[in-house]
Amino acid sequence: MGYAIKKGILYLLLVLLAAMCLLPFLLMLVNATRSGAEISTSFTFIPSSYLKENWQILSDYFDLFLGMRNSLIVAVPATLLGAYFSALTAYGLAMYKFKGNKIIFGAILVFMMIPGQLSLIGFYQLCTKLHLVNSYVPLVLPAIAAPGTVFFLRQYILSSVPPSLVEAARIDGAPELYSFHRIILPLIAPAMATMGIMGFIGNWNSYLLPMIILNKNEKFTLPVMMATLRASLDMVRNQGATYLAVAISVIPILLVFCFFSKYIISSISAGAVKE
Amino acid sequence: MKMKKLLALVLAGLMTASMVGCGSEDAGASASSGSSSSDSSSSTSTSSAAADSTEATVTGDGKLVVWTLAADLKQFAERYTEKTGVQVETVVIEPAEYPTKVQTAIMGGEKEPDIIVGEPQMLEDFFDNGFFANLDELGAKDYEGQIVDYVWKVGQDASGVQRAISYQITPAGIYYRRDIAQEVFGTDDPDEIGKKFADYPTILETAKALKAKGYRIFASDSEINYFSGDSAWVVDGALNVSEARFDYMDLVVSLYQNDLTAYANQWSTPWFQAMSGDVPILTAEIQNYEDDSVNVWDAESFAEATADLERTTVFAFGLPSWGVLTMRDNVGETSGKWGVCAGPAYGFGGGTYIGISSLSERKDTAWDFVKFCTLNEETADWWIEASQGDTVSLISALDKHKDDENPIYGGEKLYSFWLEQAKGIDYSKVTKYDKVIGDAWGAAIGAIKTGQATKEEALNTFYDTIQSTYPEIQLNR
Repeated sequence: MGYAIKKGILYLLLVLLAAMCLLPFLLMLVNATRSGAEISTSFTFIPSSYLKENWQILSDYFDLFLGMRNSLIVAVPATLLGAYFSALTAYGLAMYKFKGNKIIFGAILVFMMIPGQLSLIGFYQLCTKLHLVNSYVPLVLPAIAAPGTVFFLRQYILSSVPPSLVEAARIDGAPELYSFHRIILPLIAPAMATMGIMGFIGNWNSYLLPMIILNKNEKFTLPVMMATLRASLDMVRNQGATYLAVAISVIPILLVFCFFSKYIISSISAGAVKE
Repeated sequence: MKMKKLLALVLAGLMTASMVGCGSEDAGASASSGSSSSDSSSSTSTSSAAADSTEATVTGDGKLVVWTLAADLKQFAERYTEKTGVQVETVVIEPAEYPTKVQTAIMGGEKEPDIIVGEPQMLEDFFDNGFFANLDELGAKDYEGQIVDYVWKVGQDASGVQRAISYQITPAGIYYRRDIAQEVFGTDDPDEIGKKFADYPTILETAKALKAKGYRIFASDSEINYFSGDSAWVVDGALNVSEARFDYMDLVVSLYQNDLTAYANQWSTPWFQAMSGDVPILTAEIQNYEDDSVNVWDAESFAEATADLERTTVFAFGLPSWGVLTMRDNVGETSGKWGVCAGPAYGFGGGTYIGISSLSERKDTAWDFVKFCTLNEETADWWIEASQGDTVSLISALDKHKDDENPIYGGEKLYSFWLEQAKGIDYSKVTKYDKVIGDAWGAAIGAIKTGQATKEEALNTFYDTIQSTYPEIQLNR
């Protein structure tokens, strides 16, 4: 009896928490169907009938699917490159003992603390000289150097990958890269999936750099396109359209999350060493 | 030991391999750019000086690139293409990030944008950094006097060189309810009602008269903010807090403390609601000015919290001329019952100013585009139609439309009214410090009216803020 009550209370709390997390989402979906004037004068969870008008406003400003495609072109390679090369670096720093290991790690930590916005003008100049303005290269390639991810993965490898696994592989004659790909990567997949989700969300929502680097409407990524809805006297009227754009733009994030979260759960129990 | 060395080698090999992998693309790109890199570097080094140079090289390739923060220009560009056949590429950038974008691009030597724009508060920095080309050299002087005077002045840099022109004017006015005016004051004539807003003590009297009849003068107490810039904040390098500023402060404090407004925040839900009918009078507890903590966004708790509150109808709003459009979208059933009259002083807010990038290689086409947007009567006519009531800056167009009646505002002839208001604006009173000092002054007023600080404390905080933000400004406390 006491157990049931305890459980009841627990579930009630969890339901409350879930509602708190989901209500803003629901509100976003509802607001996507309301007109700007309605949004600014009242608040409700009952959908209105302006979905079509909002879509019309949206299409007048930009092509949502083009923006999604552009964002995918940037976010997918940037995420994959970032996760793979960070894992490589982290593995090297965690598994091999060599002179300067500590110094390199220290340097990575220091770079983690420098905000990227500081060097915007210099970065832009570099890109003009390299003729990379209006290209996705400066948005994708720098993602390879992700100090935060390296730091996280190094700690993860140190704590959960026993060196004896690699040693065993070596004894059996596996080349170093081979043992990294076949033994280490599957083991650290949960950590990489976590960082992959973070990285994808970060790249997908990235606004400042694409806004600076891209000068052509047809090359804009989704967040840059969406911001143009605010560049009008009709800002209040465009609110419904903004909600609609945001609602649609989170779909890929949700998909990626579902995809990666499978890995987070499935590999926690995979492979280990008998002590 | 041998193993270790081997590992180190492998690692080093991997690192170089990956670096070569990434590097090859860059190397190719930079090699191909080798031929043009010399001239691009020279142009970046002179980017700040280029503003004064006269390299009006016309490529005449029939193309133009516009970077704008107002979506309006997109319509202008489409019409320009229609009329002249010049292909215009319009890139719209969010206003908040626009200065960053332009600054990074122009300082980075970007030649792509031909047309760049700015709002009044951004312009001074843009001018100082030489982002805008000299329009006088392209012949802007010939058009002096065709544009409303204050707009012309806003587009000039510190030494009086024309660098930008706006297609719109944004003088501020008081939007009031004609039916309430008729009931309380016995007249709804804009000139007569304007007298009720002639100065700060009079506004307080007006507010009390309205309250006695069960109305409230304003929804928020920020409505007269647009008119408060009657004296310059900085004169000859010294902070200037005029008597009018203190009068304004006293008025806001008494409006708040004597329950003379509906306690809504500007741009919040009840503020918009007040445009279309009666609203509950919020109390200071519900509408927390400090952190906006009222649940005005949450209708149910809002309705609950305000169920016992008295309801009232708001008499007036203070907004610049673009408020005509804001009101139009929100007045609902009160459409036609509104009027517009002058405020206690002249003021203006916002406006998009068009200029030419100093690095543009198509300056002549760009100048033609600027003239098309701002100095062409036909365009102005079209824009009045297309924008459904925006106020243009071209005097001849305003004259032509001076008898246009706006049905939402009881058939008032708004264009001639705005022209009159715009004539009174004295742009010499605007400084680049206005935004920060104005915000600090607003914070001081907020602290006093809510009783968080005494007047003296709040003023001291205000002076401290100014001193730390702008050490170069002299203070006479």
